[in-house]
Amino acid sequence: MTTLTREPAHATATPARGNPLTGTRGLIRFILRRDRIKLPAWLLGITIFVFYYGAALPQLYQTPDDLRVVSQFTEGAVGALLSGPGYGLDNPTIESVIVGVYGLYFLLAVALMNILLVARHTRVEEQTGRAELVRASVVGRHAQLSATLIVALAANVGLSLLIAGAMAGADLDTSDALLFGAGVGAVGLAFAGVTALTVQVTEYSRAASGLAGAALGAAYVIRAAGDMITEGGSALSWFSPLAWSQQTRAYVDGRWWPLALSVGFAAAAAAAGYLLSGRRDVGAGLVAARRGHPEAAPWLRTPVALGFRLQRASLIGWGSALVALGAVYGGITKPIVDSYEDLPEEMVDVLGGDPTRMLDGYVSTMGLFDAILVGVFVILGVQTLRGEETRGRVEPVLATATSRWAWFGGYLGVLAAGAVGLLLLVGLAIGTATAISVGDAGYVLDTTASHLVYAPALLVILAIAALLFGFLPSATGATWAVLGFGMIIGFFGPIMDLPQWVHNLSPLEHVSRLPLDDLAWTPLVVLTVIAAGLAGAGLAGFRRRDLDTK
Amino acid sequence: MTAAIATSGLVKTFGSTRALDGLDLTVQAGEVHGFLGPNGAGKSTTIRVLLGLLRASSGRANLLGGDPWRDAVALHRRLAYVPGDVELWPNLTGGEAIDLLGRLRGGLNQARRAELVERFDLDPRKKGRTYSKGNRQKVAIVAALASDAELLLLDEPTAGLDPLMEVVFQDVINQMKAEGRTVLLSSHILAQVEKLADKISIIRLGKVVQSGTLTEMRHLTRTTIEADTTSPATGLDRLPGVHNLEAGDGRVRFAVDGQHLDGAVKALSQFGIRSLTSHPPTLEELMLRHYGDELAAAGNGAAGDSKDDGDNR
Ligand SMILES: Nc1ncnc2c1ncn2[C@@H]1O[C@H](COP(=O)(O)OP(=O)(O)OP(=O)(O)O)[C@@H](O)[C@H]1O
Ligand SMILES: [Mg+2]
Repeated sequence: MTTLTREPAHATATPARGNPLTGTRGLIRFILRRDRIKLPAWLLGITIFVFYYGAALPQLYQTPDDLRVVSQFTEGAVGALLSGPGYGLDNPTIESVIVGVYGLYFLLAVALMNILLVARHTRVEEQTGRAELVRASVVGRHAQLSATLIVALAANVGLSLLIAGAMAGADLDTSDALLFGAGVGAVGLAFAGVTALTVQVTEYSRAASGLAGAALGAAYVIRAAGDMITEGGSALSWFSPLAWSQQTRAYVDGRWWPLALSVGFAAAAAAAGYLLSGRRDVGAGLVAARRGHPEAAPWLRTPVALGFRLQRASLIGWGSALVALGAVYGGITKPIVDSYEDLPEEMVDVLGGDPTRMLDGYVSTMGLFDAILVGVFVILGVQTLRGEETRGRVEPVLATATSRWAWFGGYLGVLAAGAVGLLLLVGLAIGTATAISVGDAGYVLDTTASHLVYAPALLVILAIAALLFGFLPSATGATWAVLGFGMIIGFFGPIMDLPQWVHNLSPLEHVSRLPLDDLAWTPLVVLTVIAAGLAGAGLAGFRRRDLDTK
Repeated sequence: MTAAIATSGLVKTFGSTRALDGLDLTVQAGEVHGFLGPNGAGKSTTIRVLLGLLRASSGRANLLGGDPWRDAVALHRRLAYVPGDVELWPNLTGGEAIDLLGRLRGGLNQARRAELVERFDLDPRKKGRTYSKGNRQKVAIVAALASDAELLLLDEPTAGLDPLMEVVFQDVINQMKAEGRTVLLSSHILAQVEKLADKISIIRLGKVVQSGTLTEMRHLTRTTIEADTTSPATGLDRLPGVHNLEAGDGRVRFAVDGQHLDGAVKALSQFGIRSLTSHPPTLEELMLRHYGDELAAAGNGAAGDSKDDGDNR
C-alpha cells in the first residue's frame, strides 16, 4: 500500500499525452515489486515437480516393466479422465510418463497461476479502489491491463524455460524438453487471456476469477470427455486449450503447431478484454448492477439464513456446473464400456476382470473426483467467510445479538449441508446419465452412494479449515494442502509405492470405493467424529480470539 | 446516575503496539458522551473492546452492568453500533442489510425505520457496492437508530455525510437524548460534539487525558483576556497563572489559567477597566493542546498508521 502511491511517480517519467499505455513500464515494476515473493514461488513451485518426478520416477520404476504397470494404470477411461490422451504410454519412458501421466497437473497449476495473477493486478485492484489512486496519476487507460499481461507473458516464457532447464537438470532426455515447457507456458498464456476478458465482465474480483476458473473447469471436462471417447483424443478434445498442449505429443512424436492455437486463442481473448475495458468505467462491470428489494425477505433473519444468502449464488453455480459435468461423464459411459469389450482378453484381466467391473471402477473414480471438486467448494466457502471478516462485514453482525458460535457454526452448517447436497446432486446426475447410457437402472443408486460416501471425509476437510480459521485465521488457505495431498494420494497413490501411514494421512483414503468395495461403516463414523471434534475446537478458538477488523 | 460504560486501566496490545494503555472512561446513563482524539489514538479500539469484538489484554470494562466479552450477546440486544468504515454485502440491498442487522439484534422499529429512511433520503433498493460512501454510512446509521437500543456506540458516524445530513443526524441524536438513551460518539467534527455532547473525553495514545463537561474543561485551560484600562496595568506578569502578557498604550492582553481567572480580574480592576473581553478557549484550542503534543512527540503525525489489508481476494 505504501509503495502504491509512490510507484506511479516513475510512470510520470514518460509523459505522452493521450497514450493509453502511458505508465505501463512503471506499473510493471510495481507489479514485480508486489509479487516479488508470490510469482517466483509459483514458478519454482511448479518447476520443482519436474525435478521431483525426474528423480523419483527412476527410483520407483527401475525396469521398463515397472513403468508399464504405471501406464496400464492410466489406460482407458480413467486414465483419460485423470491424465489425458496418453500418447506414448504403450511404450513408456520416464519422460513420457512425466508428460503423459502428470503433465496435466502442470497445465492446471499454470492456468491457476495465471488466473490469480491477472485477477490480482486488475479487478482486485479496482474492487479495492486502489486502481483509482493509480489511474488518477499519469497512467493510461490500458496501462494496468497491459502491464499485467506483459508480466504474465514473461512469467509463462520464463516458466517454459525453467521447465526445460529442469528436465535437463534432472538428467532426462532433453529432445522435447522445450516443447513440453512451451506447452505448459501456452496454457498459462491462454488462461491469462481468458482472465483478461472475465475481469472486464464483472465488478467483483471473486466472480471474475470464478468465471475464469469455470472456463478452466470446462476446458478440463471437454478435454476429458473427448479423450475418454477415443484413445489419443477425439475431435471434442480439440475444443479445449488444455488439449492443445497435450496434443504436442512431446517425447512421442513432437509437433509444435498445436501451440499456435493456444497463442492465437490467448491473443484473441486478450484483445476482447481490451475492447471491453475501453467501453467501461473504472471499477464498473459490463453489466450494471440491478436494483433490488427495499426490504429483506422474511426468512432472512438468522445467522444461518445469512450464511445461506451469502452462499446461494455459489451453490447455484456449483450445482449447475456439477450437474452438467455429471451428464457429460455419465453420458459417455457406453462408449467407454464398449472400448473395454474390444480389449484383448489378457488386457481385461490385468485391468481387473470383467468389463462391468471396469464400469464400477469408473464410477468409483468419479466419486473421488467429484468429492475433490466439492472439497474445492468447501475450502472456498471458508475462505469467503474469512473475507467477510477481513473486509469488515462481520463486525456489524457480531455487534448485534448474534453470538460468534451462532455466526460461525451457522455458516459451517450451511457449508456442510451444501457439500452433502452437491455430492448428492452430482451423484444423481452421473448415476442417471450412466443408467441411461448403459441401460442399467441400478447405477442410479450405486453412483449416488459412491458419491455420498465421501461426505464424512469432506466434513473433515471443512473442519480442518474451521480449525485454522479459529486459531490461525490467516493460514486458512493451508487447507488446500490437505485437499491437494488427498488428490495426489487418491489418484496416484496406487503407483507411488508410499508407506501405508502416508496414505492414511488423507481423509479421503478411509472411504470405501463404491461400488467396487464393500461399504465399511466404521471409518465413516470415525471421520464424522473427528470432523465434529475439529470443528468444535475451531469454534472454541474463534470464540476466544480477536476479530480481525478492517 | 449509574454508569452505562465504565472502564478502568483498560489495556489492549497488538503485538508491540499498545493501542490502549490504561484507559479510564466513564459514561453515565442518559448522557451523550463525545469521544475525541487524534488519528490512531485508540477510539475505534476502545469501542471494539466494548463490543466484545476485541478482548482486552488487561484492565476492567463494564458495559450496561455486564462484561463486554463474556456477556456480549445479551448486551448487544440493548445496544446498537455504527462502524466508522461501513462495508455492505455486495449482493444485498441497503434495505435488506438494514432489516437483517435489525432482526439479528432482535427486531427493529418499522415506523422509525421508515421515518429514518425518509429523513436521510436513502434509497434502500440499491445493492451494497453501488452506494456512495456517505450513503453506505446512512445505511449503518438507519440500521442502528431504527432499533430501540438503550445505548448507541457511534464511531465517527457521520464521516462522509453532507452538511444537510449532518443536521438531520444531530436532530435525531437530540431526539434520542430526549428519550433518555446513552450515546458514545467518537468524532473528529468538533462543532458536532460541541452541539451534542454533555460530556467529553479526550483520548491520546490510548489514555484518556481529559474528561468532563465542556465548561469544566474550559475551566482547566486558559482564558484569553483583553482589556482597556485607565492607568497602565503593571505587575500582572507577577501574578500566578498569567501567560503571554502584552501591555502598552492602555491596552493589555494575556492568557490566564482557569483557576487563577478570579485573581487576575481582581488585579486588573485596580487599574480601572474601561472595556473587557474574554474568550473562553474553543474546543479547537482544547484539542490542539493535545494534538500539538502528539504532533511534537511523533515527529509530525506518524502516530496513526493504517494497516495494510494485503491483497487477499
Ligand atoms: N488489528 C490491529 N493490529 C495492529 N494494530 C492495530 C490494530 N487495530 C488498531 N491498531 C493500532 O492501534 C492504534 C489505535 O487504533 P484505532 O483504530 O483505535 O485509532 P482511532 O482512534 O480509531 O483512529 P482514527 O481517528 O484514525 O479512526 C493505532 O496505532 C492502530 O494502528
Ligand atoms: Mg477509528
